[in-house]
Amino acid sequence: MGGRDQKIAKKLEKKIVKKGFPDVKISAEEGIVRLNGRVNLWSEVITIGYLAAKTKGVKGVINDVTAGEIERKGEEKKVTKRDVYDNVSLPKRADVVIVGGGVIGCFIAREISRYKLDVVLLEKESDVACGATKANSGMVHSGIGESSGTLKQKLNVKGNKMYDKVCEELNVPFERDGLLIVITTETLPPKVRKVLPPFISNFICEKIIPYVVFRKGKKAGIPLRPVKREELLEMEPNITDKAIVGVYSPTYGVVYPYEITIALAENAIQNGVKIALNTEVEDILVEDGKVKGVLTDRGTIESEYVINAAGIFADEVAEMAGAREFSIHPRKGSIIIFDKEMKGYINHSLSELILPQDPHTKGGGIFTTISGNPNWGPDAIEVSDKYDKSVTAEEIDTIFECGSLLPDFQKSSLITYFAGLRAATYEEDFFIKASENVLGFVNVAGIQSPGLAASPAIAEMVRGILREIGLKMGEKEEFNPIRRAIPKFSKLGIEEKKKLIKENPLYGNVICRCEHVTEGEVVDAIHRPLPATTVDAVKRRVRTGMGRCQGGFCGPKVARILARELNIPLEEVTKDGPGSNLFVGKTKSLLAEEA
Amino acid sequence: MIEVDVAIIGGGPAGLASAMKACEEGVKDILIIERGMELGGILLQCIHDGFGTFIFEETLTGPEYAQRYIDEVKKTGINVKLNTMVLEIDSAKRIIAVNQEDGLLEIEAKAIILSMGCRERTRAQILIPGDRPSGIYTAGVAQRYINIEGVIPGKKVVILGSGDIGMIMARRFTLEGAKVEGVYEVMSNPGGLTRNVVQCVEDYEIPLHLSHTITNIRGRRRVEGVTVAKVDSEMRPIKDTERFVPCDTVILSVGLIPENELSKSADVGMDPITNGPIVDEQMQTSVPGIFACGNVVHVHDLVDDVSKVAEVAGRGAAEYIDGKLKKRRSPIKVKAGRNVKYVVPQIIHGEKFDEDIRFYLRVKEIEKSVKTVVLADGERIFEKKIKIVKPPEMVKLDISPDILNRITGDELIIDVEGEEDEEKS
Ligand SMILES: Cc1cc2nc3c(=O)[nH]c(=O)nc-3n(C[C@H](O)[C@H](O)[C@H](O)COP(=O)(O)OP(=O)(O)OC[C@H]3O[C@@H](n4cnc5c(N)ncnc54)[C@H](O)[C@@H]3O)c2cc1C
Ligand SMILES: Cc1cc2nc3c(=O)[nH]c(=O)nc-3n(C[C@H](O)[C@H](O)[C@H](O)COP(=O)(O)OP(=O)(O)OC[C@H]3O[C@@H](n4cnc5c(N)ncnc54)[C@H](O)[C@@H]3O)c2cc1C
Repeated sequence: MGGRDQKIAKKLEKKIVKKGFPDVKISAEEGIVRLNGRVNLWSEVITIGYLAAKTKGVKGVINDVTAGEIERKGEEKKVTKRDVYDNVSLPKRADVVIVGGGVIGCFIAREISRYKLDVVLLEKESDVACGATKANSGMVHSGIGESSGTLKQKLNVKGNKMYDKVCEELNVPFERDGLLIVITTETLPPKVRKVLPPFISNFICEKIIPYVVFRKGKKAGIPLRPVKREELLEMEPNITDKAIVGVYSPTYGVVYPYEITIALAENAIQNGVKIALNTEVEDILVEDGKVKGVLTDRGTIESEYVINAAGIFADEVAEMAGAREFSIHPRKGSIIIFDKEMKGYINHSLSELILPQDPHTKGGGIFTTISGNPNWGPDAIEVSDKYDKSVTAEEIDTIFECGSLLPDFQKSSLITYFAGLRAATYEEDFFIKASENVLGFVNVAGIQSPGLAASPAIAEMVRGILREIGLKMGEKEEFNPIRRAIPKFSKLGIEEKKKLIKENPLYGNVICRCEHVTEGEVVDAIHRPLPATTVDAVKRRVRTGMGRCQGGFCGPKVARILARELNIPLEEVTKDGPGSNLFVGKTKSLLAEEA
Repeated sequence: MIEVDVAIIGGGPAGLASAMKACEEGVKDILIIERGMELGGILLQCIHDGFGTFIFEETLTGPEYAQRYIDEVKKTGINVKLNTMVLEIDSAKRIIAVNQEDGLLEIEAKAIILSMGCRERTRAQILIPGDRPSGIYTAGVAQRYINIEGVIPGKKVVILGSGDIGMIMARRFTLEGAKVEGVYEVMSNPGGLTRNVVQCVEDYEIPLHLSHTITNIRGRRRVEGVTVAKVDSEMRPIKDTERFVPCDTVILSVGLIPENELSKSADVGMDPITNGPIVDEQMQTSVPGIFACGNVVHVHDLVDDVSKVAEVAGRGAAEYIDGKLKKRRSPIKVKAGRNVKYVVPQIIHGEKFDEDIRFYLRVKEIEKSVKTVVLADGERIFEKKIKIVKPPEMVKLDISPDILNRITGDELIIDVEGEEDEEKS
């Protein structure tokens, strides 16, 4: 530890002892603080992490403090059958290896597929978009929710502007419905409301708060428009009486997060990238301070450049390389989806402004997916387990409160709920940097919300970093930015439907009663450049099972089509990869076992 | 554009019986549209027996029961389109359907009979918290997998809900050599028919836990277990009764919902309690010429009732086409009164009634020694004693024309009166 580092450690130790954790060991190196020890509760681990991050001079926090009371085991059961549906054989070497097939990894892959490079993307799950990318609100935020001056905000504002073009190229739906930030009689904290005379708090809500929001937008280059009460009621007739005024953010958009990710992956493959699914990176090979390759559970790949886009596991992957300068503590967010029957009830995305704003959440809201399903949430809960995607009863209650803007909304139209984990760092900003200690290793970490919105700009930034650290990137003339989408039967007009069925009669067989998905679409999804090999992978591509019956009708049909097209027995079909089999055997097989 | 007299949406028992009746009444051009590979509806996967005790006075399996109607239909000139999904219906009785051979079909019908059946409630609709792994199925889906697809969903099974299908599946899994850890029911009484409690659960010594629910599902890839708990009188889980039950499969038998997207697209008026269309005594909906019958109207426990009421719809459609359907005059609303969840039909018409009307009612709570009472304008026009009423068992009331013709006013109320009410009055 250098002198500066010693000072930082001393200062931090004092703070942490004062908080009542005398046993935490602290060391610092080049401004990166390492914390070790054991406390009672996970919430204390989090408190300690933030104390460190807020200490002057600290550039990064590696918080390895553990909590005595961990509710769930952190380890995943190892599934041995890795090579069931391998889509590619692993190459021996590559110019660039990307670890992680979320929206970030896939966007980077597609971005650098413009150049004459051998790129390999490795994903441990059976499909891309299986991490945070499949479990979010799908909002392309404008950036107004981010703290001024953060990298998050900068990349969000930029990324938002890049969405129209990329979605057009990839043929994925993108809509800019705008967001209404709603200021209500509950915007000011109760304590403040109690002491202020009503006319003053009203003045603050009606005039000052909208002005402050407006100013913040202006500074960051985010277009905003104040909305008076009458107009607010016109825009959203079902809104609560407690709404006072609004601020409209017209550049807010919505995408299907998994669809854009799959499209990026497909387009990357079209342009020469290899994507290996069911492939877990277990170690990063480093020699003389330089990256040499990655070790996976399916073999080794030599490479001088490795990009860490491993989401919630990015700290662990960085550790493998000895390039860890941050910790990731999972912050769970749950979302409730309602029937598209409720579509007409809301015209814009809505978010109630509650002060003081919790800097660690984006704050739940009321959004509408591309398909017209309203969705509420997410909430924000710190969890100790990187696999904990459970939705608790308390969370469901909390999210229902998000809907207080729409008091008469029919909550019984709920069709499903799910949770995702945000990859939060204690610094609460994106961490996108080439490692100074390990040459060729690039961390793209801490990509929590608005990671989806910022992803086009993040990819561009990473491309720049690669060039800076010496990767030769010659442009590929034959790069094709256009990706053809799977035809969506339900969205076509009568004549187009007729034509499609004539070309391929499988499009005449509707197998999903809720979303009117046809067998043709499912078969297409299974034979794309990035094949769908599980029930959930099919679902993410063509929406089977996303409707109100949640797969009750189409489930058996999709399973059968998968078995047929992949040429496997029905018993081997899985929900989302090895270990998630739908069946235990053929009928009578259990009786045979017994006998 | 194809033109037909009567188009029947759904070829389950309701569709089949209504088609037969319409045919008997002389309708020429009848078309049954069925999305499945075969006629018979949900009965095809119900390979257990217990069907047809009223209509055929013998106990048949589901497929046997359906076959009797299918054989009859085949003898007539009724047209059938299988593997054909109806996508849309409008109030002008135009239908859009699709299949592989014909492509997109545009059909115009003089009358339509809706008989699309029902679907199952899902895990999310009853808000079970926890993980979302593989291994969670609704009972009907599990039934399909075992009986039609020939695969077993799991080895160690917990069943939530003691509805008929849940109990039948408890037995089915047991017969397949799987271990059913228990059937958990949130209510204090079984949700299905008594005969199923005895024949499917008790006979196989499967534990039935009343006043219990699942409070959490756990598992990453595949279900690893559930937490169950006793519930209090308001059906809230009691924390300190929670216990973890390891299992690999969760089967949900937590209710059926009439399948009415098409009815809604045709602007048919809906009953928020049954989740089905509002119908009159001839099973006509609020859109003239559109009729409905079977589980699409409300969930029936016995297929015999479905077949019977489907005949009413079939005849109604025939009369509608001939212009003979009773004039819609002075509608009388039929309302659910004390301890009655709903009554079907919800409306009756006519100045003069000339035949029996059968009312189907579902009670809210179990009650012994009761009287069903029909009130018109405050006057008790009908009374019938019943030993016991239970929510899982539908109550049927046949009311004769001489009673119906005594109705004054525009409202009927049907009550189930308990013993104490009687003492009071
Ligand atoms: C509830 C919720 C709501 C959100 N809402 C929004 C929103 O509305 N708008 C928005 O912009 N953002 C939102 N976000 C944030 C957004 O989802 C994330 O920023 C984004 O998905 C991050 O993408 P990623 O690729 O970095 O991570 P991930 O999608 O998690 O991808 C990382 C991938 O790496 C793989 N991986 C990890 N370790 C290894 C290994 N060792 N070997 C191989 N593969 C590995 C993982 O399997 C995973 O697929 C939300 C997040 C949550 C949780
Ligand atoms: C799982 C289960 C077990 C049962 N067990 C028993 C029992 O043991 N004894 C008993 O007496 N009763 C039992 N019943 C009840 C009885 O079977 C039903 O009441 C009866 O089958 C209902 O008949 P239905 O014609 O209304 O509906 P269904 O049988 O469900 O038929 C509806 C038909 O409509 C078709 N359809 C729906 N939508 C469309 C569309 N858009 N386009 C084309 N076709 C469409 C469906 O494919 C289906 O074939 C059971 C019911 C279920 C669900």
